Amino acid sequence: MIADSGLLFTFFNVAVAKQYLPAILEGTLVTVGVGIAVVITGTLLGLVLAIARSFGLRAVALPIVAFADIMRSLPPLVVIIVLYFGLPSLGVPLSAFAVTWLSLSLVLAAYAEESVWAGILAVPAGQMEAARSTGLTWWQSMQSVLLPQAIRRAVPPLTNRVISITKNTALGSVVALNEVLNTAQGATSHAGNPTPLMMAAIAYLIVFLPLVIASRSIEKRWRRA
Amino acid sequence: MMPILEVTGLRKSYGSTEVLRGVDLHINAGELVCVIGPSGSGKSTMLRCCNLLETPTQGKIVANGHEVTSPSVNINRVRQDIGMVFQQFNLYPHLTALNNVALALKKVQGKSTSEADELAMAALDQVGLAAKAKSFPAQLSGGQQQRVGIARAIALKPHVLLFDEPTSALDPELVEDVLNVMRDLRQRGMTMLVVTHEMAFAHAAADRVVFMDGGVVVEEGSAADVFERPREARTKSFLARYANGRAS
Amino acid sequence: MNEIIQNFFNLDIYAQVLPFMLKGLWTTIWLSALVIPLGGAAGLAIALAVNQSRNRMVRWAIVAYVDFFRAFPPLVLLILVYFGGPFLGIELNKVTAVALAFVLNNSSYFAEVFRAGLEGVHAGQMEAARSTGLTRFQALRYVVVPQAVKNVLPDLVGNGIEIVKLTSIASVVAIPELLRAARDAQSLVYNPSPIMLAAIIYLALLWPLTRLLGSLEHRRARA
Repeated sequence: MIADSGLLFTFFNVAVAKQYLPAILEGTLVTVGVGIAVVITGTLLGLVLAIARSFGLRAVALPIVAFADIMRSLPPLVVIIVLYFGLPSLGVPLSAFAVTWLSLSLVLAAYAEESVWAGILAVPAGQMEAARSTGLTWWQSMQSVLLPQAIRRAVPPLTNRVISITKNTALGSVVALNEVLNTAQGATSHAGNPTPLMMAAIAYLIVFLPLVIASRSIEKRWRRA
Repeated sequence: MMPILEVTGLRKSYGSTEVLRGVDLHINAGELVCVIGPSGSGKSTMLRCCNLLETPTQGKIVANGHEVTSPSVNINRVRQDIGMVFQQFNLYPHLTALNNVALALKKVQGKSTSEADELAMAALDQVGLAAKAKSFPAQLSGGQQQRVGIARAIALKPHVLLFDEPTSALDPELVEDVLNVMRDLRQRGMTMLVVTHEMAFAHAAADRVVFMDGGVVVEEGSAADVFERPREARTKSFLARYANGRAS
Repeated sequence: MNEIIQNFFNLDIYAQVLPFMLKGLWTTIWLSALVIPLGGAAGLAIALAVNQSRNRMVRWAIVAYVDFFRAFPPLVLLILVYFGGPFLGIELNKVTAVALAFVLNNSSYFAEVFRAGLEGVHAGQMEAARSTGLTRFQALRYVVVPQAVKNVLPDLVGNGIEIVKLTSIASVVAIPELLRAARDAQSLVYNPSPIMLAAIIYLALLWPLTRLLGSLEHRRARA
């Protein structure tokens, strides 16, 4: 075992921790902020795309499928880098926050669309038929009968995805987003001590571990119904 | 004559629920013994204790001269000598019928592939399914699957066969095929302990019948004695409920 | 329009950097080929331990391990292993650090997939196998695990694809995989085209696999 004070002094140095705590907290806020933004826009966009696809028009469905395939085949970091260097050349300069948020939203939207679509396909055709036969319009039937069931089926696989994609906010550090990993790296080289890195790790655990545990019970509950 | 299978003072509890409250039972070589009784009487539990799929809380089981309940028992060795046929067949879906039967021959008895396949084919032939050797369970009817299950159990040449409600999961038209295989096994001298709801079969084919209720053996005797001249009140009321054919 | 082509789809630059990028692709491929089997084997071992163990503490400890690494961003893990190691006096060579971080991370995902697969195999299968005298290990090896793998094959493929994508993170610690090659090339030619080329190569590699995954999932849903 490494000399007791040695390990603690290096990775859990209280003095260093105190010094950089404000910066770490700020960085964590950015992480959480981007994360929440990504979840909201990503799932909404995915839902919209799945509904659009269910219209049944090929001209609409094909681009959506292409989008979903491309966004699921590219590493998120590549998407971030492409947008980060690419958008300015197109005359659209975006901040690191915006680029990270946009990239991850697009990736999540792709997975969300596929999950909801799979959910829509899994609902028996008879459901829509029954709804329409009682005079409900297409949109009413979607809203009250099909979508609730489709979304219910989509949630379990999606909870896992949401967590793994929002963890990718750490990738924003690569394009200098001032989220917690970036802040911690800077602090670590500044202080010559890895305690800030440890603090960032702990910050991530505090944010995501409850989500992972919650996702287990969400999955269980939604799978049963 | 030493019994092939002897159960003494068998007790089994799940937590605070006592399912078996002291069961005594024996089977002699070549006998077909049927165990009947209402659901929840503990018949399946008792059967599954015999090859230690369930662990008895108390009691002694001796099979083929080996004490199954001994703490130092080599259970894998013992299980080669006791065959089991399941209500849900439990065939391996990813293996052909032939490989289902041959697996234990190869891995447990260490036989070569050709030797194992030969023995497996013989077992399948005995149950009338040699033609289906290369089929997968999903391609077979329920009755055929159960017969493969029987072939799998007899391929190891056990001294006793345990049947856990072998026909309960079958459609009525397929039940006879399986019962015929069982009658044939009986003719060849196999020792069999059968938990069943097939009253007609038990009445006609069994040497002895055991009636269980509430975790104990209530009555036992020859098939004729139990079915035609039951002594206990509980036996009488059980049999009266199911005067014709199948019980539930 | 011309600007877009100049900046993103500059064929001259593509031709210029392609050999360099292909080397990067090769690194991506062998890194994936290293991590996938290791992660998979570790995940299977973990899932079997949970499935077969009757010890509450063991199961709990393993669930904690899995959830821990599911909650931990792989990039953070990599940075921690890579930069934190020297502080402990442990000098890990780059590839080992990356491989370690990746295996720790994805063994937990593999464990989850295998856990679901094992749970999907009916208990009667183990009973039938044991009733013919097979040992627990034999029963797992010939009867239970093959069925578990078959049940979750699409998820295993999906995990494999995720790992190939994950290798792009190694670019941060200057492992010369595809993304790193692209970024290095970009700074050499002052043009973002190499990045686009990397994206195209990733698509060429992974899009067909993603489609294959889709049809595997479709087939499973049918069965």
